[in-house]
Amino acid sequence: MPKLFKLQGEALVLVEDAFMALADDAAAPNAGGIIVSLSRFQADGEALLAAGLKVGVRLEVTDRVEDLAYDLACLALVAPVFPKFRDGRAYSAASLLRERYGFTGEVRAVGDVLIDQMDLMRRCGFDAFEVADTADLDAWTGALRRFRHVYQGAADRRAPAFAERAGEA
Amino acid sequence: MTNAVITANDLRDGDVVFWSKGGWVDQVAEAELFPDAASADAVVEAAKTQVTRINDPYRVDVILEDGFPVPVSYRERVRALGPTIHPDRGKQAQGGPAIAAITAHAGAGLRSSGRLGLIRRK
Amino acid sequence: MYRYDAIDQAIIDDRAREFRDQVARRLSGELTEDQFKPLRLMNGLYLQLHAYMLRVAIPYGTLSADQLRKLAFIARRYDKGYGHFTTRTNVQFHWTKLHEAPDILDALAEAQLHAIQTSGNCIRNTTADPYAGATAEEIDDPRIWSEVIRQWSTLHPEFTYLPRKFKIAVTASAKDRTAARMHDIGLKLRRSREGELGFEVMVGGGLGRTPYLAQTIREHLPARHLLSYLTAVLRVYNRLGRRDNIYKARIKILVASLGAEAFAEQVEAEWALLDKAALDLPALELARIRTAFGVLDFENLPAQSKKLEAAKAADFGLGRFVRNNLAAHKRPGYSIVNISLKTPGEVPGDCSADQMEAIADLAETYGFGEIRVTHAQNLVLPHVKLDDVPAVYAGLKAVGLAAPNIDLASDIIACPGLDYCALANARAIPIAQAIATRFSDQAFLEKVGELKIKISGCINACGHHHIGHIGILGVDKKGEEFYQLTLGGSGAEDASLGEVLGPALAADRVVPAIDALVDAYLTERKPGERFLDTYRRTGVSVFKDAVYAEAV
Repeated sequence: MPKLFKLQGEALVLVEDAFMALADDAAAPNAGGIIVSLSRFQADGEALLAAGLKVGVRLEVTDRVEDLAYDLACLALVAPVFPKFRDGRAYSAASLLRERYGFTGEVRAVGDVLIDQMDLMRRCGFDAFEVADTADLDAWTGALRRFRHVYQGAADRRAPAFAERAGEA
Repeated sequence: MTNAVITANDLRDGDVVFWSKGGWVDQVAEAELFPDAASADAVVEAAKTQVTRINDPYRVDVILEDGFPVPVSYRERVRALGPTIHPDRGKQAQGGPAIAAITAHAGAGLRSSGRLGLIRRK
Repeated sequence: MYRYDAIDQAIIDDRAREFRDQVARRLSGELTEDQFKPLRLMNGLYLQLHAYMLRVAIPYGTLSADQLRKLAFIARRYDKGYGHFTTRTNVQFHWTKLHEAPDILDALAEAQLHAIQTSGNCIRNTTADPYAGATAEEIDDPRIWSEVIRQWSTLHPEFTYLPRKFKIAVTASAKDRTAARMHDIGLKLRRSREGELGFEVMVGGGLGRTPYLAQTIREHLPARHLLSYLTAVLRVYNRLGRRDNIYKARIKILVASLGAEAFAEQVEAEWALLDKAALDLPALELARIRTAFGVLDFENLPAQSKKLEAAKAADFGLGRFVRNNLAAHKRPGYSIVNISLKTPGEVPGDCSADQMEAIADLAETYGFGEIRVTHAQNLVLPHVKLDDVPAVYAGLKAVGLAAPNIDLASDIIACPGLDYCALANARAIPIAQAIATRFSDQAFLEKVGELKIKISGCINACGHHHIGHIGILGVDKKGEEFYQLTLGGSGAEDASLGEVLGPALAADRVVPAIDALVDAYLTERKPGERFLDTYRRTGVSVFKDAVYAEAV
């Protein structure tokens, strides 16, 4: 069973998952949170939302963030997938969700989610991480601020080096 | 008639090493000799479990020259010796008949264009 | 040159500390090799044939004397007393150990050096013209912009796991000494008709299995928008680049498959939506970086040096060195001194710790403490008074680095090849040594003139054979080393990809083939023509006949 780590401010906490993954052909529950594929959302999204469910969309690497743009205000969560940790497309997906579309819901990293990429994910706007059962919260917390400075602006709005130099941080 | 040995790279220092009865040695001359590819391949699977000792174990075909194992493929000869242009670097630096048996087939000079039938890649 | 402030230093220190932890977790087995490999590659650590190879970054090919001394220290303490300069102006140590890599990175960090992103599917070292700040013909100092890109691209969270490696070069002169058009992005500094500083943006170059020259997707990008525009290019690539096949994953494949125009439209569309104010470098920060590359304390000197002229008259060797290795400096009385790491018979690009220290001393005494690395695997002292050239020459000669062969036939680019590299199919170094030795007669070398020979030991083309006037590619034919020749490539402003000459040759046929090609050139050439020019004028057949006609 994977665990869910959620970023709350500067801390990482273990939380209960309020969402269940719903297969394309499965019936929706009566209440609660569900995560569906983009195609399921495009087909049934209206109905699912009207039923009062909290809806999240799982974004595969071949799905386009743009296809969700109009509906983001209704979504509680988007989950860009890392099929392998080396596949970096989800970093762009998360960055676009936060920076271009101003999405304020949960952006959850799912798939091959490992501690050594957590800092990058967080900078790109991920605030929740579905991790292996064996993941150690302390180690993950320790990895949060590996770098005292960053060179470039990103979705997390952390002040880049040039802002610090100009005294703007 | 080719035998086989198993090779890998030491995890900590990257050195080329050869399987010998569950452990690893530096020189191909000391490697455990397998009578054929199949018997070596079976042991490669066991070698793969030594993840904190070595990286990427695989089989290397060898022929015997003067009783010493000589890798059949050119690439594996270079791995067993060291860089051909620096005879004082790598395993070849220690010299001896076992090294000489391999060097005879992988010298620093450019090789002739004669067909060397036994040479195959890894 | 740029010196780290506390922030720059903290970033490389933190990265070194992170890597120390990652190495420990690999050695303990907590990380699998599959999980660890991209992490170690992103710190420049390859597992090669004989050992781990560490590739240390030399940002835009610029080193201080102290940094070069630190490299000498690393060579002695952690390697076998030498380093190898590469075609991306980095330096490699071929005999390092994984468990010592964290200590090496700590030592490097003391001299503001690192190995960040010198491998892996991320943005690599951004290179620049090795004559930057010294040549009269530059529009602006390209190192300023390479430093801007270095900072922006270092540990960029969105672009750390690209489909494939990503290489950027910045050139600023009519003469291109960076091979910009074989880069994923080549940036050429220019001025618009109104005098505004900007870049011509070329995308989609790359060698390897399917070589391409970069195509211009934007004629003029205002310089202040460099980072936002690069973000647009990288984002399009990160999203659309192929990840199913490593041989089809570079941006060159994406540009070729969409077409340059359609690709440019995608970039412009993305760029239009970006928050440029948030991404582009503030003017204040640009000014800070620009100041770091500021004006040196040059003296006012006469254009000619009587001292040098007298010394040349007395020393024929010095005269040859001056004739072949010096380039014009923007200030009268100064010169750009090229140091050849291609002494015939030696390993191209290799430099011993002793040699590094000698060069560091010369740079410090005679050259404002600055050294450059070129993509031809040579070094440069960019600011040497003509008066001091005799002393510099003597210093170089004392350590065997005075070969007067820059851009001549024995100035060969060669990758380490099958003697060192796990990817190679054939050896490259012995071929280079054999050719260079064949051309050791200086008079003949100068008679032949400019001839850029480049050798790669496999199709990954780290030796840049596609852009050699004569390119040599080592291939494996039934387990033996064979060599395929190409002609007519160029990495300069007249960029072109070489054409295959004919069937691959056995190792001992390569030098005779080069002989035949040079003979054919000398027979055919018109006054003023380099080898490349004659080839371009006559076409391939006279050269093909010269090499293959005798074969029955």
